[in-house]
Amino acid sequence: MSIDMSQFYQVFFEETAEHLANMENLLLNIDIGNPDLEELNAIFRAAHSIKGGAGTFGFTDMAEVTHVLETLLDRLRKQELAPTDEMIDAFLKAGDVLKMQLAAHQDEGDVDEVQVVEVCELLDRLASGEASAEVVASTPDETTSAVEPAVSGHRWLITFRPDETFSADAEALEALFTDLAAMGTLERLSDGSDGCHRLALTGELGAEAIADTFAFVCEPEQVSITPDDGLAPATTAAEADDDAFGVFDGAPGSEHIGEDEQGFGFFDDAPGSERLAEQAHDQEDDGFGLFGGSPGMEQVAEVAEQERAEQAQGYGFFDGAAGTPAAADSPAAPAAAGGSKPPASRTPARAVPGGGGSSGGNGNKKPAAAAAESSIRVSVEKVDQLINLVGELVITHAMLAQSAEVLDPVTNERIFNGLSNLERNSRDLQQAVMSIRMMPISFVFSRFPRVVRDTAANLKKKVELKLIGEDTELDKGLIEKLADPLNHLVRNSIDHGIESPEQRRAAGKPEKGEIILRASHQGGNIVIEISDDGAGLNREKLLAKAAERGIPMAENPSDKEVWQLIFAAGFSTAEKVTDISGRGVGMDVVRRNIEEMNGRVEIESEPGRGTRILIRLPLTLAILDGMSVRVGDEIFIAPLTAILESIQPQTEQLKTVSGKGRVVHVRGEYLPLVVLHEVFHIDARCTRPEEGIVVILESNEGKAALMVDELVAQHQVVIKSLESNYRKIEGVSGATIMGDGRVALILDIDALVRLSQKGA
Amino acid sequence: MSEELQESAATGGDSREYLTFTLGSEEYGIDILNVQKIRGYDAVTKIANSPAFIKGVINMRGIIVPIIDMRIKFNLGDVEYNQFTVVIILNISGRVIGMVVDGVSDVIAVKDELVRPAPEFGAVLDTEYINGLATIDERMVIMVDIEKLMSSGDMGLVDHYAAGAAG
Repeated sequence: MSIDMSQFYQVFFEETAEHLANMENLLLNIDIGNPDLEELNAIFRAAHSIKGGAGTFGFTDMAEVTHVLETLLDRLRKQELAPTDEMIDAFLKAGDVLKMQLAAHQDEGDVDEVQVVEVCELLDRLASGEASAEVVASTPDETTSAVEPAVSGHRWLITFRPDETFSADAEALEALFTDLAAMGTLERLSDGSDGCHRLALTGELGAEAIADTFAFVCEPEQVSITPDDGLAPATTAAEADDDAFGVFDGAPGSEHIGEDEQGFGFFDDAPGSERLAEQAHDQEDDGFGLFGGSPGMEQVAEVAEQERAEQAQGYGFFDGAAGTPAAADSPAAPAAAGGSKPPASRTPARAVPGGGGSSGGNGNKKPAAAAAESSIRVSVEKVDQLINLVGELVITHAMLAQSAEVLDPVTNERIFNGLSNLERNSRDLQQAVMSIRMMPISFVFSRFPRVVRDTAANLKKKVELKLIGEDTELDKGLIEKLADPLNHLVRNSIDHGIESPEQRRAAGKPEKGEIILRASHQGGNIVIEISDDGAGLNREKLLAKAAERGIPMAENPSDKEVWQLIFAAGFSTAEKVTDISGRGVGMDVVRRNIEEMNGRVEIESEPGRGTRILIRLPLTLAILDGMSVRVGDEIFIAPLTAILESIQPQTEQLKTVSGKGRVVHVRGEYLPLVVLHEVFHIDARCTRPEEGIVVILESNEGKAALMVDELVAQHQVVIKSLESNYRKIEGVSGATIMGDGRVALILDIDALVRLSQKGA
Repeated sequence: MSEELQESAATGGDSREYLTFTLGSEEYGIDILNVQKIRGYDAVTKIANSPAFIKGVINMRGIIVPIIDMRIKFNLGDVEYNQFTVVIILNISGRVIGMVVDGVSDVIAVKDELVRPAPEFGAVLDTEYINGLATIDERMVIMVDIEKLMSSGDMGLVDHYAAGAAG
């Protein structure tokens, strides 16, 4: 069955990345002494989903690693082994290996095979730690244990020889049978009068699950569970699983996908029974089974053929019965009943070994299904298109409103009412659409527990991380760009900020340092704060370093100016270069990245008490609060975040420096005057500063005074790219469309100040 | 969209459709598949420190489109902007660009074999950007490789020539 799988790769990549992140998160939160079974299960599910997806899409390397990972996890969640720190580290390493492999599959890096082998060996070693025969099917060979229960709708023959005390206890026996009956259809073949109960259980459960039930009441040796003849032996399925891994047409591959937590149901198939396949094609209107696979068994292929012929116009493109044909003979009632939704019948079967019963399996499925229903995956382009269209709607409304201004409000009351309704609705719509792009900052924050743990361990420091305000929402575009700078800052805090435990003890501080990551909204901004209780910045050292590097400094610089030094390119006060920091690249990159997002970085530091770095960002990249200013006939938008105040300067406030550079004396400060019409070569109406208005701006080049003809109004503008159809223009960061449909350019304050300095 | 059209045109036969326009006394033809629409000249927003032939940018249904005046670019005498001024909106590998010309004449189908290579001569355009010459009703039409022209370094429309060619 040939189908282009590449179209689904992206989905797989995204999901796997999510699963990995999720797994890591859970791992970091695990309480070694008292592990939460539900958490272990969640980790297992994440690993399992990755394995399934990887196998299906032919990424066998990833499937292999997850397979080993799963083996150990499986033993943990069955409580055969107690989790140790070593294991958690091994899991984290395995997660890294998977990330590396994932990146390699996305053509973004190479796989370090040595590391892969190391991790696999480590996991193997840990998994084989203490083998226990407690659970029948939990042989160290994980393949069998994972797959044995996989065939649904099995009929099991159970021979149970209870010891005397138990067989005498009729009540307990009855309870056991009730338990079994709950798992499927129970037939009692003999009443146990000879001390041996023979039972037949038909259900979607594996031998393991049944054995688990018995494990509560008796020794494993007292029970024997065999598949009914006419049913495929479990080993067959296991072999099939091994062989067909990776390629799409294998039953096991599709089986894993069937369990995909997202529950898309694309890849449903009926690995269990032919009966199921029949059901599926009877119910083809339900059309779930897009991709089945036939593992090459004739009967199945026939059925599939027939189906394809019959459902030419149906939805089920690739329905196939992937299961063992022998299973077709079995009644298989519960599984077949689920014909329209095979994954539901699959998952419990797989989840049983750990869940300790069918209820565990169901419990696993439900949250996943709910999550799938409550969110959809939409490409960012579509959302951006929506945002664009809504922006257009708002502009159209403004144009309409402008045209309506000439009408008499009394006679045209209804038009005006309609317009104001339209305005309200379109604003609401705009907000709603913008909120689609908003994501909680926890998407970035969640990686830091790991970063802190690893970095601190590396540097032999003790650090605790506190996350505050993880629910704060900001634009998805910002979130993605924020990850790197924050990573740098956090690592810097650990390396340079937090002292070693000895030093801390000597300074009378607790040995464990603390780093706080806090996000909050402040006005139209989002503020992200990284603070540590470390040594703080060393003013003298910074100044000495600046002198050494020939960075010009004012006579008696303020702390703020000194702190800004750490953002200078190549500036590092670290005595030795570590693999974490000290090379002097980094902080300048951090600042550049933040500035690209129209944000700014502030530092506060107190020697011995710690350092606080504040990042201020606009809420979104798509909308900007701006002040429109007029120069000549042109309107420009100045970002409101940069504007401090606007004044009409008096002649005595204007001074020249060495005859050409002009400065404005405002509140005791001399600010360079940037004359917009000169920088942009426009014919302005006001050529003398005292006729126009100067806007005092805060830029990264320091404060500056921008001279314009007049201030027009304050707007929220939708930022449009000039580069998409044109090229970058110096001094302009973008464009927007004004209410009258005209284009206005958005000023890039920093570049303007630089341009003006160059010109002067 | 333009790709689909291009495909169907390519399989349809050897003849292509061209939009012809005049610049000064010369008539030029460009592949119609590069033409998104034709519109009148509106007020533009000037772009600071750009060459004179780049008039500025306009808003076309939410997209910021740069407008260039070919008449200024090729020094074709007086330039007037009135209700007859025509802007051809081009789509060059995804980039939307407006081009002011003297007038739009016609849409013609020209068989590929009728387009003859251009000799080295002094048209206002560099021969590098000319695909060839065709004779339509006794008139000579200069077939322009508009994609190459617009993404060229002379036009300064894109940051790098390579970026334009790739995009």
